[in-house]
Amino acid sequence: MARLVRAALTRTGRLIGIALAVTLAVSLVSGTFILTDTIASAFQAATASSTSTSDIVVRATAGFTAQANSLPEREPLPESLLATVAAVPGIQAMWATVQGYAAMTDKSGKVIAPDGLPTVGTSWAPGDILDVGRAPHRGEVAIDLTTARRYHLHVGDNIRILFQGGAQNFTIAGVLRRTVDIVAATKAIFDPNTATQWLGQKGEVDAIAVRAQPSATPATLRARINAILPSRFEAVTARQVADEAAQSWTKSLGFLTPGLLLLAGVALIVGALLIGNTFSILVGQRTRELGLLRALGASPGQLRRLVLAEATAVGISASLAGVAIGLGAAHGMLALVRGVGLSIPTSSVVFRIHSAVAGVVCGVAATTVAAFLPARRATLVSPVAALNGSATRSERARAARIGPGAVTTLAGATMLAAGSTHALPTLVATGVGVAGVLIGLALLLPVLAGPVAYAIGAPLVRLFGQPAALARQNAMRNPRRTAATAAALMIGIGLVGVIAIVTASMKASATAAVRQTLRADLVVMTSGTPGSSGGLPPSVADRLRHTPEVGLVSEIRAGQWGLGGATETLLAIDPATVTDMHEVDAASMAAVHQLDDTGVLVRDTVAEHHRWKIGDLVPMTFARTGTRRLPIRGLFSTMAVRTDYVISLKAFAVNYAQPLILAVDVKLAKGVTPGLAEANVRRAMSDLPVAKVMDRSQLLASQQAQIDKYLSPVAALLGLAVLIGLLGIANALALSIHERTRELGLLRAVGMARTQLRAMIRCEAVIIAGFGSLAGLGLALGFGWASVSAVHDLGVTELVVPVGQLAMLVAAATAAGLLAAIVPARRAANLQVLDAIRDSH
Amino acid sequence: MTMLMTAPELVESWARMTAKATTPAARTVNAVKIHGRGNTSVRALDGVSVELEQNRFTAIMGPSGSGKSTLMHCLAGLDTLSSGQVYVGDKELGTLSERALTKLRRDRLGFIFQAYNLLPTLTAAENITLPLALAGRSADPLWLELVIDVVGLGDRLSHRPSELSGGEQLRVAAARALVSRPEIIFADEPTGSLDSRAGGSLLNFLRRAVDDFGQTIVMVTHDPVAASFADRIVFLADGRIVDEMFEPSVGRAVEHMKYLGG
Repeated sequence: MARLVRAALTRTGRLIGIALAVTLAVSLVSGTFILTDTIASAFQAATASSTSTSDIVVRATAGFTAQANSLPEREPLPESLLATVAAVPGIQAMWATVQGYAAMTDKSGKVIAPDGLPTVGTSWAPGDILDVGRAPHRGEVAIDLTTARRYHLHVGDNIRILFQGGAQNFTIAGVLRRTVDIVAATKAIFDPNTATQWLGQKGEVDAIAVRAQPSATPATLRARINAILPSRFEAVTARQVADEAAQSWTKSLGFLTPGLLLLAGVALIVGALLIGNTFSILVGQRTRELGLLRALGASPGQLRRLVLAEATAVGISASLAGVAIGLGAAHGMLALVRGVGLSIPTSSVVFRIHSAVAGVVCGVAATTVAAFLPARRATLVSPVAALNGSATRSERARAARIGPGAVTTLAGATMLAAGSTHALPTLVATGVGVAGVLIGLALLLPVLAGPVAYAIGAPLVRLFGQPAALARQNAMRNPRRTAATAAALMIGIGLVGVIAIVTASMKASATAAVRQTLRADLVVMTSGTPGSSGGLPPSVADRLRHTPEVGLVSEIRAGQWGLGGATETLLAIDPATVTDMHEVDAASMAAVHQLDDTGVLVRDTVAEHHRWKIGDLVPMTFARTGTRRLPIRGLFSTMAVRTDYVISLKAFAVNYAQPLILAVDVKLAKGVTPGLAEANVRRAMSDLPVAKVMDRSQLLASQQAQIDKYLSPVAALLGLAVLIGLLGIANALALSIHERTRELGLLRAVGMARTQLRAMIRCEAVIIAGFGSLAGLGLALGFGWASVSAVHDLGVTELVVPVGQLAMLVAAATAAGLLAAIVPARRAANLQVLDAIRDSH
Repeated sequence: MTMLMTAPELVESWARMTAKATTPAARTVNAVKIHGRGNTSVRALDGVSVELEQNRFTAIMGPSGSGKSTLMHCLAGLDTLSSGQVYVGDKELGTLSERALTKLRRDRLGFIFQAYNLLPTLTAAENITLPLALAGRSADPLWLELVIDVVGLGDRLSHRPSELSGGEQLRVAAARALVSRPEIIFADEPTGSLDSRAGGSLLNFLRRAVDDFGQTIVMVTHDPVAASFADRIVFLADGRIVDEMFEPSVGRAVEHMKYLGG
């Protein structure tokens, strides 16, 4: 048996294609695990290093658990609390901390905002250790080491720092020894007065840091402080604060692992298709050899094990290569993740053994499972097959498949439709639907292969004549093989197409929302990534009101609150002006008019879900004021910004201390020249670098850029599936050429030129690629429609099929068939005519 | 080796000699073909000079390993000589590029192989016109009709090779070889895989092609029955021409083969 396997492996040249496919897929699997470990260890390292300055942190309690991916908003503490805490015995040192948005500029005046991480300003803490210089006084700043190094900033340099409320020039007094915080990209440290002036509110601090005397353990000191704190405040260990931060950031990246594994799974499935196809071709080609083995006494089981052992050997070696490449892939994915703006503390890539194990297990499993059917077919070879030299069997697609195939596809599509319109539970229906469509297509593809190949080949035949005609015949002669080869490409193209459709639909929906419902002339929002600067300072709205060209100003704020343990978000609007800025339907308009300063508006579908009606009380837990029961004043279906709950600005002011504004809508005064007025508004905001004034087209552009930023990496990763699909075509062609050696020899003997032979192979590749691409296009249209329908409620209201883009995709993939044909065509053209004719397999 | 010739043979031989005024369809001059290198090298052709006349049916006979297939492959431009020359018409094949050889095969030569004669994806009719299609030409309809008629495939034209019998497949191959009116048709053991009836009908067809259409045919075979359909038999052994026979009969061919140890 071992000898047989070794003999079979001497043919590994033919298996290189599938080995490559497995390697690529496994590199994604391993890469994902490596990436996940890297991220986790980076946060752990950052956490461990950030606990040294203080032992205890006194802060306001969180009113409710935060959303998975963010830390809860906390109220500031009154300054008077410092004295209360100071009375506790066992404190060696204590200081107030104030933290907020502070962005440094480099020497050319450009804002330093690396990686989209928050840029933080804090008050000087006695525990801060300087690398050079001294603690900052008024007009001075200490900055973190990383930023200083990367942007060549030195003690004595003058830099401009931007705050929410304005900007000021500072002299660098010192550079911190520790680099950066886990949650900050850059850190600027000010004296307490400056910090309070720019980063906090007078009379308030964000937290109190306490260092324990050597005689008191942090735990006992924490207990002592907690004992005297008023109920809304708590003392926790610094360690816990750091852990919370690390946890929150790890959680915010939690979607990455399943997401990337999903993509790796797609690559594995595509790879498995390719493997199954290759082995069934190989078994077909080796019918004679297998028959001989049977005649010589090999049992069917031995033949099955022979094929499976071969597959496993390929799987293992390809998977090991994949793990090695996975290390590189992890670097690439890390770059992709950073490119999307997700922040990950810098760290070297971490490789643990389970990354290798997962990759190898997946790779070997995919290879073995995929080879199982071909292995079973090998057992069906009869000893007589050795005697009649039927090396190739041409299989015809059975028309019997059409019925079940069409029915299964339709049933799947119906399930998808039911899922997307919420007639059935979305997740279940979508899963079943996708499976149904895929199985149905698998049945239909071989039936379609002939006619579609014929149609795709038609223009080629007109262009290239006889070689193309032969290529078309070759593609049609074994529809099941053509279909299996094309299926891998179909999945890749289908998924990339879905992303293209979803992207286009999201963009179109954003465009429609701005074009059709935005009545404001200008929108002022925070620059930079959301969350890194929190929002706009309250002074923005007042300034706009005092700008002469501005007619109407309507601000929108956002906050979190708790509902029965879950975290919800709400918007605060000005009921009097919001509908002047955003067009809403009549019912929603009526609801807005009903909103007073004590009630809440709820999205109609949400109210339905909770079985709430107008007048019911919603128990809303706020960080500042605790649980309050707000009566529902109205139900809405459309609102300025997508939200489920709306309260008035006055109600917001009562329940939230956080003064930041999410966005301000501006309507220009009647009769002003728009261009001039806009310039004046911009001028009024010029000393507020965080305020970004956008007209409609700029708003659109920024939204579209955001959509691209998130979806293009997904498309890029799915491109890998397309690559594997093309690899499959190359592989199948190489195998076909091997099996058709004699035929090719005959063609050359009766006068086919090398160029014609190459043209023939290329045409066949293009026909298969075209078939796979077209089938993928069908898949993309179906799944794209389902995906867009499924997220209709999330504001994706338009279904757009980017015809040009999809046509390009199909054309490019079809043309890429030429690439797949390079090696097989060269091999075919280099066949020695005589060897080919004499070849006796 | 001395030649034992009967009187009529001598006359015939003389007649052949005098007919030499016309250019032969193909000829070799001191053709040598060495397979392999060093100790393992084999002289498949060891100085063969032969002329193949136009409008004649020539059989090349010899035991296996005699070099008969190699000779045919070299004559047909499928293989190259180690030394010596091959001419098709007045073209010396050794001087031709791969591209020119392909064109020569396509435009001036026809082939009938023992097996794997046909493309399984094409119908009989498509297989017949394949060389013309590759050259981008269309068949002369009258000639095509005549060829098909002679081969006797009228009702099988739209069938694919898998639906044809072995004899029919070979007849399709023969029709394909004939349809482009090549200067020479090379046939490699054409009847090797056929029963005697189907073989006979193919050989009759080849004979008719020579007699009725003036076709030149070179056939490699080890079957004396097949060879007896030829005008002339060239006997090969160990890479050399050892004998030849004109207007052969089965009995004489068998005798000769026995003599050669075939």
